[in-house]
Amino acid sequence: MAAAGSVRAALQVAEVLETVVSCCLGPEGRQVLCTKPTGEVLLSRDGGRLLKALHLEHPIARMMVACVSSHIRKTGDGAKTFIIFLCHLLRELRAITDKEKDSFFSENIQTHGRHWKNCCRWKFISQALLTFQTQVLDYVMDHYLSRHFLSIFSSSTKERPLCRSSLEMLLRAYFCGRVGRNNHNFVSQLMCDYFFKCTACESGFEEVLELVDDCFVELKVGVTGLPVSDSRIIAGLVLPRDFSVYCPADGDIRIVIVIETIQPPFSTFGSEFILNSEAQFRTSQFWITERTKAIMKYLQKQNVKLLLSTVKQPDLVIYCAGLNGISVVECLSSEELSLIQRVIGLAPLVLPQASSQYELSNTAMVKFCKPFILRSKRYVHLGLISTCSFTPHCIVLCGPVQGLVEQHQDALHGAFKMLRQLFKDLDLNYVTQASDQNCTSSPLIYKNSRESNDLPEIVNGSIQRPYQDTVVKNKDELAKTQTYLKAYSNLVVPSVELETNILCSTPTVTLTATYQTDATLRCFSPNKARIMDDHEPFIESNSANSTTENTRREISYENLQVTKNGRKGSILPVRDKSLEMCTSQSYCFSSVPAGCVLPVGGNFEILLHYYLLNYAKKCRQSEETMVSMIIANALLGVPKILYKSKKGNYSFPQIYIRALHALQTNQPMISNQTGLESVAAKYRLLTSVLQCLTNILTIDLVINIKRQPQEIYDQDSDEEL
Amino acid sequence: MSRLEAKKPSFCRSEPLTSERVRATLSVLKGIVTSCYGPAGRLKQLHNGLGGSVCTTSQSAALLANLPVTHPILKILTTSVQNHVSCFSDGGLFTAILCCNLVENVQRIGLTPTTVIKLNKQLLSLCTSYLKSEACGCRIPVNFSSTQILLCLVRSILTSKPACMLTTKEIDHISTLILRAFLLIIPENAQDHIILGKSIIVPLKRQRVIDSTVLPGILIEISEVQLMKILPIKKSDSFKVALFCVSLSGDLSDTGEGNVVVSYGVSLEIAVLDQLLNLGRQLVSDHVDLVLCQKVIHPSLKQFFRTHHVIAVDRVGVAVMEPLSKVTGTRPIGSLDSISPSSYGSVKDLCTAKFGFKHFFHIIPNEATVCSLLLCNRNDTAWDELKLTCQTALHALQLTIKEPCVLLGGGCTETHLAAYIRHKTRSEPEGILRDDGCTQTELQLITEAFCSALESLAGSLEHDGGEVLTDGKYGHFWSVQADSPSVVNWPDLLSRCGCGLYSSQEELSWSFLRSARPPFVPQTCLPCEATDSAGNLTLDCFTAKLSGLQVAVETANLILDLAYVIEDKN
Repeated sequence: MAAAGSVRAALQVAEVLETVVSCCLGPEGRQVLCTKPTGEVLLSRDGGRLLKALHLEHPIARMMVACVSSHIRKTGDGAKTFIIFLCHLLRELRAITDKEKDSFFSENIQTHGRHWKNCCRWKFISQALLTFQTQVLDYVMDHYLSRHFLSIFSSSTKERPLCRSSLEMLLRAYFCGRVGRNNHNFVSQLMCDYFFKCTACESGFEEVLELVDDCFVELKVGVTGLPVSDSRIIAGLVLPRDFSVYCPADGDIRIVIVIETIQPPFSTFGSEFILNSEAQFRTSQFWITERTKAIMKYLQKQNVKLLLSTVKQPDLVIYCAGLNGISVVECLSSEELSLIQRVIGLAPLVLPQASSQYELSNTAMVKFCKPFILRSKRYVHLGLISTCSFTPHCIVLCGPVQGLVEQHQDALHGAFKMLRQLFKDLDLNYVTQASDQNCTSSPLIYKNSRESNDLPEIVNGSIQRPYQDTVVKNKDELAKTQTYLKAYSNLVVPSVELETNILCSTPTVTLTATYQTDATLRCFSPNKARIMDDHEPFIESNSANSTTENTRREISYENLQVTKNGRKGSILPVRDKSLEMCTSQSYCFSSVPAGCVLPVGGNFEILLHYYLLNYAKKCRQSEETMVSMIIANALLGVPKILYKSKKGNYSFPQIYIRALHALQTNQPMISNQTGLESVAAKYRLLTSVLQCLTNILTIDLVINIKRQPQEIYDQDSDEEL
Repeated sequence: MSRLEAKKPSFCRSEPLTSERVRATLSVLKGIVTSCYGPAGRLKQLHNGLGGSVCTTSQSAALLANLPVTHPILKILTTSVQNHVSCFSDGGLFTAILCCNLVENVQRIGLTPTTVIKLNKQLLSLCTSYLKSEACGCRIPVNFSSTQILLCLVRSILTSKPACMLTTKEIDHISTLILRAFLLIIPENAQDHIILGKSIIVPLKRQRVIDSTVLPGILIEISEVQLMKILPIKKSDSFKVALFCVSLSGDLSDTGEGNVVVSYGVSLEIAVLDQLLNLGRQLVSDHVDLVLCQKVIHPSLKQFFRTHHVIAVDRVGVAVMEPLSKVTGTRPIGSLDSISPSSYGSVKDLCTAKFGFKHFFHIIPNEATVCSLLLCNRNDTAWDELKLTCQTALHALQLTIKEPCVLLGGGCTETHLAAYIRHKTRSEPEGILRDDGCTQTELQLITEAFCSALESLAGSLEHDGGEVLTDGKYGHFWSVQADSPSVVNWPDLLSRCGCGLYSSQEELSWSFLRSARPPFVPQTCLPCEATDSAGNLTLDCFTAKLSGLQVAVETANLILDLAYVIEDKN
């Protein structure tokens, strides 16, 4: 069975989803109760989670959900806005086609030919959208919007001190959309306290965020049955298990980590132990006992007071530990182990072969280790002494039901993700955008590395010609690679291909383009500066370095290295280098610097709406005007919903008119909101939605297959492995 | 290879609370919990049509654990009550009824959820800060130099569980036992922070309740055959004890991941038994009098111990290992050879005892912070109920040590609190409404809903068709028997208020709880002599009730905030 994939169908789906998510949007949003197949109940206001919980059947809906979840994975926020925005875009598109239909087709017959014609039209529009995203959006962001940006840092010096009050505002706005109404302030305060307690020094907060984001599950303790207000922050690390042996000790405590049983086993895997007599058995058992004792004695001599073990230790070890005054915690999970290792930088203990006398190398100190009782359940409480900028603290999250605890936990985790994104620079050119994606899909690189081997040659071959030809030809060539790039970005997984292309085009530019060509190039393309965004850094580097012949050679040499390495199939490290070069130089061109924020309440949307309309008025091409108008109008959807329940002076039309007036007269916009939100997150959201929309528009037919789903093996990656 | 299966789409409903079905199920649940509440509560019999035992109960812990709930909203409610009970043992029904009442009352008003939730939260913080303040008129500080108040607390808990089937005399007996058991686990030389011991409840069913008793130390149940084997215990003032956590049965402990090949003619059993007997010899030479083992002791080793006049008791189980090692001061031994002498402990006395038809081995430690509560009741279900009740009472006592005060029971706290809130919101609404954007009318509506939820909670203590009243001075709770003449010398009909603090001798201007009353200022600050003189008060655990109140309001807020329910049908 096949169904026509059309905007109409997509809009229907999106509208249904919109009604579900819009009830949870913003500070006035409400909760949704989800049940799991196991019977557990979960409270949520997290758009991504809700969409997943719906288990949608409709193919277009599933595609939308997939797009949303990939966006969420990257940024940790914005699922609800995603759906609302997408829905409004589709609505605008339909409005346009309806208008056209009235004028062109008087008959209402859906012929086959018309369907295909329609599809062609959608294809055009989707291309226009893409051009918009790559050219207009970045331009508008950089030229107009950037003057409204605020920063979360209290000053713009190198060390970038964080401003506590603005961080609080940012977090409160975030939690307004994520947790229940009466807990906004409490949870955001808790998170803020936690963040500042964990950050030892001013500068290390990025490292802290990374660690907390990675290991958040280990850093929280959920407790049900207590009121939410009992949640608190505890210094040190809390492990959800009891001591196997606990020996109280004072002062700093020396610890070791073991990842195998201390008592040697009778036989190891793959070996045979042949017993020939009872005496042999007795002696071997005696040896095992003695050896275990010796090791424990040794540990005691080295003043070790706490043993952390990833495996269950035999009774004998526990007994000996107790005799030697060593506390033992068993069965640490690998995540806990890696967290502890990251915090204190301690490698697992390698058991000494003989009863050696040398000093134990792999030890660390903790301030305290004691049992910790929460709701009559026992935990291990460790006061780790951190070697990085993260000062270990744990959050105890309380709530009357598990569902609520989980909601708060998810919201906190998402908030850390969001902060992590916020403190990164967002480059507006397309190359670095791709590099972001690459970080998440690194295994794919191996897959495609072989393909990349051939590409340089092809491109190199094509370079030969323009080198001898005129400058104009050269420019054409560049434009060609440019379109090549753009065409690729259409795909769902463009990152890898893009990456290889960039790598290949890097040598082309630096090898062939002379200083003069660069200059002419720049003359040729002042209008299209945006398209050239990703090439600019290289042009720049050339113009900077071309004063002497030598340095340029160095560059080309380096680029040759790139291709060579590419052949070996290990693209990863080199790519980093070339990318670094590229980002560091494009920095001054166009980027949203780290920590950029705007007040909440649709400020970003209204601003962008205003400037897009302005832009649309100015531009000549009808396609571009249309797309800009569509996006500008769709942007207003979010603030409309946010102010739905407000009346009088705070209703949406009032706010909108006031904002427009302020913008026209160049006055500062006055906002009655106290929260802040990240600009980079909004920008990313916008681009993700546009990509999703182009995906939807390019589908012309949905084919329904009635067959058991099969597991898909990634054959290429299998080969590589 | 696992088969992939397409997931069924979920079921999504909007505005769940407006549906008639949900309201109906909520009111059914409310009916169930309300009818169980209080000393006069009705019992519920839960039985599974497919078999299993029948449970007769009126306690929330047993009731909700066995009650299958399908609707997600009810599930939220019941799990939140169950979680509360698992934290505090007491106040489950209180929480459940209050939550149901709140949801029902608020729905009737029809304000937007935002306003309701905000104001509910304000009222809750008003309640908690009042209950925690010194001026609170329904809070009694606990004086640990007398047992009076603690005994009243335990008795109130026992009385409120009618499914235990206890007579007044039996209630007195059990409450004294519980209090004694609690006092036994408090260490004598307390330092700055007290580590409480443990009281172990030992079941003894089908006996008279009066036969229940409390013993210091640990009782280990043994069979009659084992009892015969235990030799008469010699008289001594101290016994040396060894406690094993490894099996002494002679099984080969794990041999690693590889294979162990045993040549023909080699008998590992003999080798292991040799090792065990060596161990036995060492124990004997160390003059150990008692060997306890968590797991099984090999019969030959047992025989060996008997010939050397060492008492051996095996299969004590993991549950008593911790208290055992605590009272005897031993370190559980995990090794079969070479035992460090520091792992031995000692006990004061050993004896065997027979209670009912069961034989016990009684270990009496030197310093007792562990005691055994032998609990008897007529049948299984009543015993289960009594056991739960005893655990609740012991827990309540522990919580009272942490927070040394109790609340008035019998509905008086609820009516008093309602009167206080009414007065507060009437007299100073500005303080509550600070910057919320809510109007005074909205506040009055929510206050009415909140207070009537509290009052009807108190009113649900009355199950026999009687009238419930409140007075205009203290705001306490009074009830009248059903078939009393309509009018009306109140002091003659009423005797004491719900908690038993005030008698009807004073003129207190009573009025029906359900009728509209002029708001008044309830008298705060309990007079000291009132609490000392009153003999038999009904009291509630402070911590449990306070947290129950918070959890109830938070859960009600959660339920009122729901916009959609998504049910996963896989």
